[in-house]
Amino acid sequence: MNTTGHIERDDLVLFAMQLLPKEDAATIRAHVESCPECLHELAEVQGDLAVYAHTVEMQAPPASARERFLKQVAQEKKVIPINTAAEPELPVRSFDGRSSLTEEDLPQRGFAGKVLPWVGWALAAGMAVTAGNFYMQRTALQGSIAEQKDQIAQLTTDAATAREVMATITDPSALRVTLTKAQTAPVPQARATYVADKGVLIFQANNMPTLEPAKVYELWLIPANGSSPIPAGTFQPDQRGYASIMMPPLPKGVQAKAFGVTIENVGGSQTPTLPIIMVGA
Amino acid sequence: MYRETGIVNTPALSTQDDASLLAMIQRGDEYAMASLFDRYSKVVYSVALRVLRDPAAAEDVLQEVFMQMWRSPGGFVATRGSLGGWLAVVSRNRSIDTLRRKRPTECVEDMALASNYNLANEAERELMVERARGVIDQLPMEQRKTLEMAFFDGLTHSEIAEMTGDPLGTVKTRIRSGLSTLRKAFTA
Repeated sequence: MNTTGHIERDDLVLFAMQLLPKEDAATIRAHVESCPECLHELAEVQGDLAVYAHTVEMQAPPASARERFLKQVAQEKKVIPINTAAEPELPVRSFDGRSSLTEEDLPQRGFAGKVLPWVGWALAAGMAVTAGNFYMQRTALQGSIAEQKDQIAQLTTDAATAREVMATITDPSALRVTLTKAQTAPVPQARATYVADKGVLIFQANNMPTLEPAKVYELWLIPANGSSPIPAGTFQPDQRGYASIMMPPLPKGVQAKAFGVTIENVGGSQTPTLPIIMVGA
Repeated sequence: MYRETGIVNTPALSTQDDASLLAMIQRGDEYAMASLFDRYSKVVYSVALRVLRDPAAAEDVLQEVFMQMWRSPGGFVATRGSLGGWLAVVSRNRSIDTLRRKRPTECVEDMALASNYNLANEAERELMVERARGVIDQLPMEQRKTLEMAFFDGLTHSEIAEMTGDPLGTVKTRIRSGLSTLRKAFTA
């Protein structure tokens, strides 16, 4: 607490972030509840934290998360209370000093009056059977959900592994070593891994010479059907001669006859400029 | 859009303000709930993912936060579009609780939050985010790192001081100064 009897802003910030020991947090909470100034400042700090939270790198949750959430919402449907009109109270009358009504005071029950109570019991029995069915269905659904959760967890783990692999391959600080026969001068070489059905291409090159500033290397997919080469991305090697192209946008289903690399102006080209400096089939 | 209302002048759910959607949720409207989920799930998930660094755990926090909204919408107040800010902070706090493996320590009803931005408006939100990122990038590295360790990693000032070797007072000042700079940039 400062000299004016309010909480120090440093401590309010830590309190808002829930980083204070329990005792200190309890003291501040008690003060804030009775101090409009500190309460206002705490709201301001929470506002600052909200803005700061938004600086995080945004990533959309997986589509399955939305489905999972909406299923859960549907399962927990709300029962909205309906304001029913108050039931009219029976008149409290006094007959001959009696404080309550007797059977004789009530109107005579007709056929409906005799049958309806049994209808009520029948309905109750029917509802009990239905509830039993619902319970069985719910149990089956819970089993199915648990199974799906396991599958989702497995997929999430697989996705995380794949991301890790991708991050390692593309990490500019990673150590990359090309092993060759001993006492052989390093030569430019590249490897293209291509899955035609999915249109997925991963390209990695080593020992690539540095280019003039206005030039880039461009990778080409040369289709097997003889049509024009398809540009598959440009690249510039780093200081150690390494470069990669990960999954450039390519049409699916194009069988490749070969891959080639040319030198183009920055920005790339739609048609290869000869000579093709690297080629592989 | 999720459904046809049949009423020509009824605004689409995606354009309705947070308070209207919360009122609809209170009446059990699942479409309104889906609409708020679509509006804020990204920031809630992103904050949780940054804190927990685990997509599955972040998704659990996402579910937990929005299910809480579905169950008790009355606990969430949406004045001047502050619901998004609120959710971001709640997501961070729930994630830190998960990191510490303890029960939620706060009740959303207890948390007041002042917001000058209408975070329900995507364009305004984007603008605010860009500006905030710019301010944070300009902070001195030690200040930026300390703030990050406290907010996103949930480290106490004592833990940060121990890790960095800086005095406790310096750590507290850095955290406060970082937030002050952010506030000044938005009130200037």
